[in-house]
Amino acid sequence: MSADATKDLDLENGPTDEELVAETVKGSLASYDELIRRFQSRLYGVIYHLTSNHEDTNDMLMEVFDKAYRSLPTFRGQSSFYTWIYRIAINRTFNFLEKRKRRQGAMSLNEIDEDGLPKYDMPDPIQRNNPSKSSMLNELQNKLNESMLGLSKEHRTVVTLYDIQGLAHAEIAKIMGSTEGTVRSRLHYAHKQLQKSLGIYLRR
Amino acid sequence: MNQKEDFSELQKLLQLKRLETPGQEYFERFVDAFHQYQRQEILREEPWYSKLMEVLFEPWVAGVPRLATVAASAACLVAGIAFFLGPVAPGSAALADGKVAHAKGIIVASNPTEDSLQIQPELIETAAGGEVTQLRPLYVNGHGAVAYDSRLAF
Repeated sequence: MSADATKDLDLENGPTDEELVAETVKGSLASYDELIRRFQSRLYGVIYHLTSNHEDTNDMLMEVFDKAYRSLPTFRGQSSFYTWIYRIAINRTFNFLEKRKRRQGAMSLNEIDEDGLPKYDMPDPIQRNNPSKSSMLNELQNKLNESMLGLSKEHRTVVTLYDIQGLAHAEIAKIMGSTEGTVRSRLHYAHKQLQKSLGIYLRR
Repeated sequence: MNQKEDFSELQKLLQLKRLETPGQEYFERFVDAFHQYQRQEILREEPWYSKLMEVLFEPWVAGVPRLATVAASAACLVAGIAFFLGPVAPGSAALADGKVAHAKGIIVASNPTEDSLQIQPELIETAAGGEVTQLRPLYVNGHGAVAYDSRLAF
């Protein structure tokens, strides 16, 4: 890493994403590390909610950051870095889903270990000492994943970005390269589908 | 908005999926894991011919032939046909001094003990039923050779 490239970078006052991109292009690996820290959790969420598989998500996330790093010299700043890297993540995940579909013939749900618990260190939203609640939550999680995987990848993406990640319609439209109207219409359709498949878990 | 169009309960349910995330420890280690991943990627960079094969054949596997692939394949096919149908060059072609066999003009010679092949026309004559033949070498490597003789193509 070039020491000069990072010397003047004031990480405490929070450089913008674009400043970090510029420093990375000049050779500062520390700046790219900072970009990774900023986006890793959000991108993990996007990829995971599209694949429903933690192992695949981990692999994909590495690929996305690697691809983005290699492509940074061609990043012209026409969109924000945030939009750009989200697009890379979504496009690569879409490609991955296509390949997985061809390879497996059917999609796999999230790996559950022998105890019926997720493989990774997931936060435990309910007490382990309440096995019936835990079992219900696992069932609900499986059903949610199953319903999400029942949607097309485009519909799953808008649900992920809007309902789970809390992005605005306009931001989603930029990321997906579509109009706000298309985002709203996909969201409405996806909600209707999910409402149908998750009906028994919803209060009337 | 009627009751069926009220998605607020569904949206609350979907927000539960925010909990499906690895622990903070995973993200604290991620940058280091990424550096390791990049080093491994550099070490296992695919050679150019592997990438070429991928570009040429992956579309066929996917069932979506690309125009470039179709064009390249057609060019190879035409070149192959022209090669087979072209006039036989004069002179005896080289084949191995080991075992020789032929079928319909394709003559295969192999000699697993020799690294460099010495071509012996008498072996070709044996394969061709005693006639002196003119051959077009198709492929030669360290231990074997394949040749084509249009006169034997019956």
